[in-house]
Amino acid sequence: MGKITGFLEVDRKDHSNKDPQQRINSWDEFHVGMKEEDIRDQAARCMDCGVPFCHTTFSLASKTSGCPVNNLIPEWNDMVYRGQWQMALQLLLKTNNFPEFTGRVCPAPCEGSCVLSINAPAVTIKHHEYAIIERAFDEGWIRPCPPLERTGKLIAIIGSGPSGLAAADQLNKKGHSVSVYERADRPGGLLMYGIPNMKLDKRKVVERRIDIMRQEGIVFINNTEIGKDVSLKDLQESHDAIILCTGATHPRDLRIPGRTGNGIHFAMEFLHKNTKSLLDSNHLDQKYISARNKNVVVIGGGDTGTDCVATALRHQCKSVTQLEILERPPEVRMEGNPWPEYPNVFILDYGQEESKAVFGRDPRRYRRMTQELILDEQEHVKSLKTVEVRWKSDSKGGIQPEPVPGTEDEIPADLVLLSMGFLGPEQTLLEQNGITTNQRSNVVAEYGKFTTNIEGIFAAGDCRRGQSLVVWAINEGRAVAEVCEEYLSRIVK
Amino acid sequence: MMDKNSMPPTLYVPSMEHDSCGIGFVAHIKGRKSHQIVQDGLTMLINMEHRGGCGCEPETGDGAGILFQVPHQFLATECQKLGFVLPEPGKYGVGMMFFNPNVEVRQATKQRIQEHLDELGFNLLGYRPVPVNHTEIGETARQAELPLEQIFVSLKENPGGPSELERKLFILRKYTTHSIGRTSTAVPGNDYEFYWLSLSYKTIVYKGMLRTTQLADYFPDLAHPDFDSALALVHSRFSTNTVPKWKLAQPFRYIAHNGEINTIRGNINWMKSKQAHFISELFTPEEFDLLLPICDKAHSDSANLDSIIEMLTLAGRSLPHAMMMVIPEAWEGHDFMDEDKKAFYEYHASLMEPWDGPASISFTDGHVIGATLDRNGLRPSRYVVTQDDIVVMASEAGALPVEEERVIKKGRLQPGRMFVVDLQEGRIIEDEELKTTLAHEHPYREWLDRGIHTPSDLPEGTPDLPLTSKELLINQRIFGYTREDLKKIIGPMANAATEPIGSMGADIPLPPFSHQSQHLSNYFKQLFAQVSNPPIDPIREKMIMSLRSSLGMNLNALDASPDHCRQLVLEQPVLTKEDLGKIKVIDQDGFTSRTLPMLFSSERRNGLELAIDQLCRDAAAAVESGRVILILSDRKHSSSRVPIPSLLALGAVHQYLIRTKLRAKSALVVEAGDVRETHHFATLIGYGANAICPYLAFESIDQLWEKGLLNEELTLEQAHANYIKAIGYGLRKIFSKMGISTLQSYHGAQIFEILGLNSRVVKKCFTKSVSRIEGLGFGELENAILKQHRAAFSQNNDVVLEAGGIYEWRKDGEKHLFGPEAIHYLQKAARNKDYDAYKTYANLMNSQDDQVFTIRGLLEFQKQQSIPLEEVEPAVEIMKRFCTGAMSFGSISYEAHSTLAIAMNRIGAKSNSGEGGEDENRFERKPNGDWERSAIKQVASGRFGVTSNYLTNASEIQIKMAQGAKPGEGGQLPGHKVDEWIGRVRYSIPGVGLISPPPHHDIYSIEDLAQLIYDLKRANREARINVKLVSEAGVGTIASGVAKAKADVVLISGYDGGTGASPISSIKHAGLPWEIGLAETHQTLLRNKLRNRITVQTDGQIRTGRDLAIATLLGAEEWGIATAALVVEGCILMRKCHLNTCPVGVATQNPELRKRFKGKPEHVVNFFTFLAEDLREVMASLGFRTVNEMVGHTEVLTPKAKVGHNSSSFDFSALLAPAKIAVGDGSFKQREQDHELFLSKDWSILNQVKGALENRLPVKATFDIMNTDRSVGAIISNEISKKYKGEGLPHGTIHLVFKGSAGQSFGVFGVHGITFELEGEANDYFGKGLSGAEMIIYPHKVAQYDPEHNQIIGNVAFYGATSGTAFIRGLAGERFCVRNSGVKAVVEGIGDHGCEYMTGGVVVVLGDTGRNFAAGMSGGIAYVMDHDGLFKQRCNMASVDLDPPEETDLEELQDLIHTHWIKTESSNAERILKNWARECQRFIKVMPKDYKKALRKLELTTA
Repeated sequence: MGKITGFLEVDRKDHSNKDPQQRINSWDEFHVGMKEEDIRDQAARCMDCGVPFCHTTFSLASKTSGCPVNNLIPEWNDMVYRGQWQMALQLLLKTNNFPEFTGRVCPAPCEGSCVLSINAPAVTIKHHEYAIIERAFDEGWIRPCPPLERTGKLIAIIGSGPSGLAAADQLNKKGHSVSVYERADRPGGLLMYGIPNMKLDKRKVVERRIDIMRQEGIVFINNTEIGKDVSLKDLQESHDAIILCTGATHPRDLRIPGRTGNGIHFAMEFLHKNTKSLLDSNHLDQKYISARNKNVVVIGGGDTGTDCVATALRHQCKSVTQLEILERPPEVRMEGNPWPEYPNVFILDYGQEESKAVFGRDPRRYRRMTQELILDEQEHVKSLKTVEVRWKSDSKGGIQPEPVPGTEDEIPADLVLLSMGFLGPEQTLLEQNGITTNQRSNVVAEYGKFTTNIEGIFAAGDCRRGQSLVVWAINEGRAVAEVCEEYLSRIVK
Repeated sequence: MMDKNSMPPTLYVPSMEHDSCGIGFVAHIKGRKSHQIVQDGLTMLINMEHRGGCGCEPETGDGAGILFQVPHQFLATECQKLGFVLPEPGKYGVGMMFFNPNVEVRQATKQRIQEHLDELGFNLLGYRPVPVNHTEIGETARQAELPLEQIFVSLKENPGGPSELERKLFILRKYTTHSIGRTSTAVPGNDYEFYWLSLSYKTIVYKGMLRTTQLADYFPDLAHPDFDSALALVHSRFSTNTVPKWKLAQPFRYIAHNGEINTIRGNINWMKSKQAHFISELFTPEEFDLLLPICDKAHSDSANLDSIIEMLTLAGRSLPHAMMMVIPEAWEGHDFMDEDKKAFYEYHASLMEPWDGPASISFTDGHVIGATLDRNGLRPSRYVVTQDDIVVMASEAGALPVEEERVIKKGRLQPGRMFVVDLQEGRIIEDEELKTTLAHEHPYREWLDRGIHTPSDLPEGTPDLPLTSKELLINQRIFGYTREDLKKIIGPMANAATEPIGSMGADIPLPPFSHQSQHLSNYFKQLFAQVSNPPIDPIREKMIMSLRSSLGMNLNALDASPDHCRQLVLEQPVLTKEDLGKIKVIDQDGFTSRTLPMLFSSERRNGLELAIDQLCRDAAAAVESGRVILILSDRKHSSSRVPIPSLLALGAVHQYLIRTKLRAKSALVVEAGDVRETHHFATLIGYGANAICPYLAFESIDQLWEKGLLNEELTLEQAHANYIKAIGYGLRKIFSKMGISTLQSYHGAQIFEILGLNSRVVKKCFTKSVSRIEGLGFGELENAILKQHRAAFSQNNDVVLEAGGIYEWRKDGEKHLFGPEAIHYLQKAARNKDYDAYKTYANLMNSQDDQVFTIRGLLEFQKQQSIPLEEVEPAVEIMKRFCTGAMSFGSISYEAHSTLAIAMNRIGAKSNSGEGGEDENRFERKPNGDWERSAIKQVASGRFGVTSNYLTNASEIQIKMAQGAKPGEGGQLPGHKVDEWIGRVRYSIPGVGLISPPPHHDIYSIEDLAQLIYDLKRANREARINVKLVSEAGVGTIASGVAKAKADVVLISGYDGGTGASPISSIKHAGLPWEIGLAETHQTLLRNKLRNRITVQTDGQIRTGRDLAIATLLGAEEWGIATAALVVEGCILMRKCHLNTCPVGVATQNPELRKRFKGKPEHVVNFFTFLAEDLREVMASLGFRTVNEMVGHTEVLTPKAKVGHNSSSFDFSALLAPAKIAVGDGSFKQREQDHELFLSKDWSILNQVKGALENRLPVKATFDIMNTDRSVGAIISNEISKKYKGEGLPHGTIHLVFKGSAGQSFGVFGVHGITFELEGEANDYFGKGLSGAEMIIYPHKVAQYDPEHNQIIGNVAFYGATSGTAFIRGLAGERFCVRNSGVKAVVEGIGDHGCEYMTGGVVVVLGDTGRNFAAGMSGGIAYVMDHDGLFKQRCNMASVDLDPPEETDLEELQDLIHTHWIKTESSNAERILKNWARECQRFIKVMPKDYKKALRKLELTTA
């Protein structure tokens, strides 16, 4: 809290981003850090609550409220206020292996449950996290710190996304030897290819971390898909434990007429290729799906959709539209969505802000359902037929969309990106090896135990939990490491 | 006695019995014996009947007794009738003894006595059965009555004369008592009944379980004209105990005691150590064998005090000398005490620790009679001396009416002073003369100069090297340091030298249930004073406190030599590393030390217990080899050598050395890494440590300082000094909570209840401490220690300590009942009227299977025959039993406060005003029917806003004796928090700090509480009187006293409740959970047949219907809820209530933040409705139709089968002991207390002033008055307030003139429009709570003495008065105008602590003041005549300025003195006025700094 009355004296001030007009000409990160004195002022707003709702999480209205990795937010805010950055860093690293990731990409449920936000704007928690870790890197405080002794235990982690990395980091620190298998050519999973560079810089941020982990002794084995290039059985034989961190990469599809046409892609394909080409050749290899001069329609109003909008804008698309089937969220919390629930409020995210700057409008259209993809003669998508929906309660207590007659329209489109979320992990590896999954196709492994039906094989992250947040992945990675550690201490192999 | 085996054990703690009383004596100074003195003694006793108590039936008294000189003529005649002849006086001893009623047992007892008489060389002259008349005594008393006989004995050879005879009689009495009573040699069937009331050649005691009025009738002897004496010493007892015991009556053989000895457990232990080294010329070692032990833990504190005084006296010291040793004055902070006297006290401090506690003691050996008062003067004692050589001393003036013309002196006993009449010399010996003589007996100063050393005198030692940062981290982990310890405890102490403050009580698991590692001290709960004795103010009355500790041997206490004071003296008990380094290598003047490792091997089975045993043996060997100072140290720990918790090791060694009689020869020093908080120090000292070096705390401070985490401007030395100062402050506070003033008497006093250790641990390490539910043993402790120890070495990578999470919720920290989820669901439930959300919340609270929090968490309901829900009484009925906790307007916002009030009024329940008064605007209903009036009006020690009108507008008046979050402590609302509104409601002005003293200054004991209840019941006859207590060992006993004091309701608060700010150590470490206190209360009330006349309430973290059900089953029929109600209003447990920054507008006065308040009465109503419904569901499942029929049915509860952490080690059989309900008794409130409302002078007054009351017609009436007329004016003021609200009547409408000695609380709550004029004198609490009336008092017109030098009113006048005027011609006692906030008073001289905590009004003192004037005074003005130029020394300068009065001041002053002269005919005033120009220059204006500032600000804003 630093300053007892800080929250009464200082207004919330958000960190700024680069000017949207400018930044769309570049793939560099759009974040601009705050000045140190401003951050200190903002940190003074933290009230050091007796019950800091930001620091813990519980599920409310099926959304995350508060921090899933239990960041010691009030404590490092206090240190930031006092200018004790190193102490702040120690506290931050106690709960979070990769604050540089969450400090950029987390939707900050902590701010939604910040006690101050009951009746005032929340503390700028996420930016403080960003500031602490970036300062630490700048000052050279983050250095490889390999364990002094090795236990001789070998662990294979399948998948190098945030949960795999977190598990690897934790286990490596304990002296175990960790190999991380990744089917892509670069490690990082979602962090590398799921999130575009302007939001999370691959070289400056993701590889910076992976390099440190490498120097600490973690082995990254890329271009190797388990179940295809190497069998799980072989892996089992050569390792003491295996952790599945394969993510939930199976996208939700749109089964409507015209789906088979050209120019219709899953968002991940679009984003992945874009980043790979960028990193490989600065886009010179042309091995990406370009939106240049195209009318782009993104179906899905979530973060990935926004990433598609921003990427398309950087390709210099002709237009971009983002379709969201839900209602436009209110500007402020509704009565049914009280603190400390995650605030379901209207946000102008970076992609939409950029669209506004270029085209003068928010690309989003709400309550729009796509009924048909209209193709041209070359079987290439030409436009979308959409209709407005009304949300009606159904007999099971849920709500269902119902088209409103007379609201049909047609949106021209040369490129359609499907960004409607993910259904679960890809099943091949699981089926091959008889790993039990549940109705939602996720791996069965109880939270806190993380054991699959096969001894010695654990599962964590989105492949277990389903599509979720990076910060949950880190939570699970840390938690599975603890369980795995306990398992390793039990087995004699 | 009842057969012990057939009774299930209950929570009742016999050692916690209290009693207090009225005492007094009458004597002829010249020693002339007469029967009149006997008669006078009896009269005096009867006039103090109201200071005694009676039990379950009005005819059974708590005890009354009287001590005389042996009436030789009378006895000689009586013996002659029985056939034996008494020798001349001085040649025989007469004993009074109770026998077992069984004739054969009595015969066997006499047989045994005969044997011992023979052994000791006595002749038996004969027995005389003492005639008694038991027609008038109560049934209970009769059942327990014992045969009383006199024995007459003489020595076969008596060359030493009477003093030898007296010593031999003493040996005979002790020897026979031990022999007949002690189990191994007991007379079969005696069953502890045999008891000597007295045995002496000089004195004789008549006493019994009687009311004062019954004594004379019961003992026909006393009526015989031949029964004569030159002195009579009387005692009327008010006890918490009604279990019949005749021998508990007083006086004892040498003293009658009014008060409590709080340090008794330690005193007895020290005595045990000391007596092993007794040597005396007057007693042979064989005789010592027969008479020891001196003290007996089975006896009361007063009885033990009597024994030690007797021993010291018979071994050769004079009686006053012995009294001065045992109850010394506060000499240390006394700047103008005579040097020789100071030396006397300092010297004797090496021989005897003070027997500490409030006490007024009358004493006599038959030749000398006197009285002394403890250092704080907390008991009243008034005396008169007459022309014809009679001296009368009593707790009250007027107790023995004497003709005013005969009086030559009226005085009072002053704090620390002694008053002695030597009947042989035939004169009164004044304190000064007496003490000067004694102080010059030996060259004490010279002896001290040679004997006393301090650490600075010692050569340098070699302190250990500082730890490296890595070692420090491992050390911190080994000893369980958390980030919170550094941030919340050690950091603030080093920064600011103060105690860290927290808010919102404790909702963490009880220590034995926690999964986190626990400091051993956490199992110890501090006891604190409530009702039976007052806590002390450690800040404002610091002058009577001392932290002095010393290291050295105690030599033979019966002797005096220069060697006795050879001590290494410490100003306070915290040793720096440097000082300890010196002590480790000390070797000079007989001081030697040995360091003993306090470690155990991690590899050895049962390593902990075995190591403790070894340590004890090593310690004993070291003492036997002559080492004086033992240092128990854990410094040398390693990965396999594990520190023993310092408290465990220290406790074991201390007890072992006591058992082996070596303790007095040694001092114990602790060097430990686990000591950091004040409470850790307190437990160590309380269990015997002389000094402590908390090396790791110092090292941690070094680290914080180096890292820049302390205030920038601090030097490291300052940081250390601050920490030590903070510990000292905290210790003083902990001592003061119990009413103990000195570390020396706290030392080893074991003032804790243990919660969660098993009896094996308690027996070995903390012998005889109260511990009632068992808990962990050595094995469990060892496992926990080892786990923590290993973890400390396996966390190399992590440089951040664990969270702690006790004061602030942390995911990985300690668990809390109110976590984020619970808060959310409760708010959701109440706001949306969502019963499902309520159930989710309730489930979070109730399901304590994995993590047990509370004792109730370990209990479950046994399956019962259920009934349909409809058959259970409706929720609306149940809701009437709810109240909200006391939270003042000031601690919470107006919005939060009034919302609760409206809600509670809507459901017929009660909200509580808290202690800050209440705005009169809230007394009327609003047009929409809502009512912001709090049904319960609290009366707390600060008495803020307590006026007649405030009390009149109450349905219930609650006397707050203690508060769960900080029992035994006062509070302070700092000036910056007092805005215009709060100031107005509290009768003060904005900007002036308002202090609530730790004690109620009108409740120092149970009979005082009875008096306050008497006052309040008359201030509002319709209101229930509720007394709020906090759960602790003995609370049941206190509750019985409260029931006997005629309270209608008693509230047992849990330690864990409490909102608002409190010192962190108090929140956690003082008091007990309500389950134990409530069960003890219910059991004890039933045991005393008092349960059915009092409603029992409980509160403290009550959250759900299940909690309510368990509270009911344990004995409560009403319940209070505070925290949960606040959460419903929006509280999110910020735990920052003390900072005024509550972001949801609950606990703040900041207008901006108050706007953020979102609570609604509907939310609160919803919540209470849910609670009632929830309870109904439980009731239905258990088959109870009404709450009444459910109360106390503990058989429905059973401990859960093994759940939770450590749960199997507990034993709840005493908690759940089935209640035995006597015939005609009941287990819930069924009958009303008899408040004896008809007994009031006010009725006759009311008759005469009807016209004034109805039509405001002026009236004047005259009445006689005596000391038994108490609380005069309360009823009439209540009647006026009902009719004329706060305004009262026009000035002078009712003029009442009284003549005589007024009883306590004369003019109490007197309202505007009444004038009380009294010719005569008055007792304590004159003008208490004055609400506008005028009070005039002057001595009897016929009085011969000089009024300005004689006592006219008692102590604590105008306590909490809010307005009015007063003119007092004569002297007032201690604490004149304490907490006055508006009265203008003129007085001619006052005692100590004048104008304490005053916040407003004007006080003019025309004569001397006592010490500590203006302590804690924050408002108002005093003008004091500085006769001797020494006033500044007597004034506590902490908060006031002394200035010459200004021109306008002088006008006011002259005016007041003039009025004083007119109203009282004061010659003093007349003289001053005549010489005004000169006299006015001698006045000093005492002006609080705060007040000055506030007035200036007011002027600016109104200008």
